[in-house]
Amino acid sequence: MILDGWFWAGTVICALSLIICVVMTVIRTFPDDASILSLVAVELFLVVYGISAAVRTAGGETMSGPVWEFWGYVATALIIAPIAFFWAVTDKTRWSNLVMGAVGPTVFVMLHRMQVLFLG
Amino acid sequence: MKRNQGLGRILVMVYAVFALSAFARSLFQILTDFSSAPLAYLLSAFAAAVYIVATFSLARSGRTAWHVSLVAVLIELVGVLGVGLWTVLDPGLFAEETVWGHFGAGYGYVPAVLPVIGLAWLLTHRPAPTR
Repeated sequence: MILDGWFWAGTVICALSLIICVVMTVIRTFPDDASILSLVAVELFLVVYGISAAVRTAGGETMSGPVWEFWGYVATALIIAPIAFFWAVTDKTRWSNLVMGAVGPTVFVMLHRMQVLFLG
Repeated sequence: MKRNQGLGRILVMVYAVFALSAFARSLFQILTDFSSAPLAYLLSAFAAAVYIVATFSLARSGRTAWHVSLVAVLIELVGVLGVGLWTVLDPGLFAEETVWGHFGAGYGYVPAVLPVIGLAWLLTHRPAPTR
């Protein structure tokens, strides 16, 4: 089952991050703390997800896809929020929030792919 | 407004995401499974290279960067239309999915829309004329 609790938790966090960033784009003319904190939430989710995946595989669960492709996705997803953050805060306009808003949808797509690789 | 600020920042971010994902995916495909679909994987690697060039040139100021961006975006447009048409007409040639296959359907058609937006952005934000 690809659509497990991890998937839905990640989906909610990514969706909230997108919504927060879009709202901040409208009401703020600078990169708002709420947008930045929403990226922190996405990043924290990925860290917890990665640790959980490591524990589950160490405990004997097998992945249905290539193991190192899964970890490739985890590693790539982990660097997206920092890239967006640094790219956003070097130009302090309202659009900085929307730059950070790109992280949620991107991580969501990658999370779906990770779920397929892990659980098939 | 300058080319790499405001809305241009978002364009660069989306390009960066595609550069990263296309690069990581093509690297993985070439390292693990090259023989099954060499053409598709080489095209993925080429697409990744174009995205990487476009990301950095769009992020930079100046005339040279503008021209590099224009070339990269045009290559991308021709690539996604050409490869898209190719995969539709001759599916057997591409045993595995590539970024530009089926006009980028596997990536929500973003690869087809992105060069159009990029081109529009570049044409409305030309570099200052030299005097």
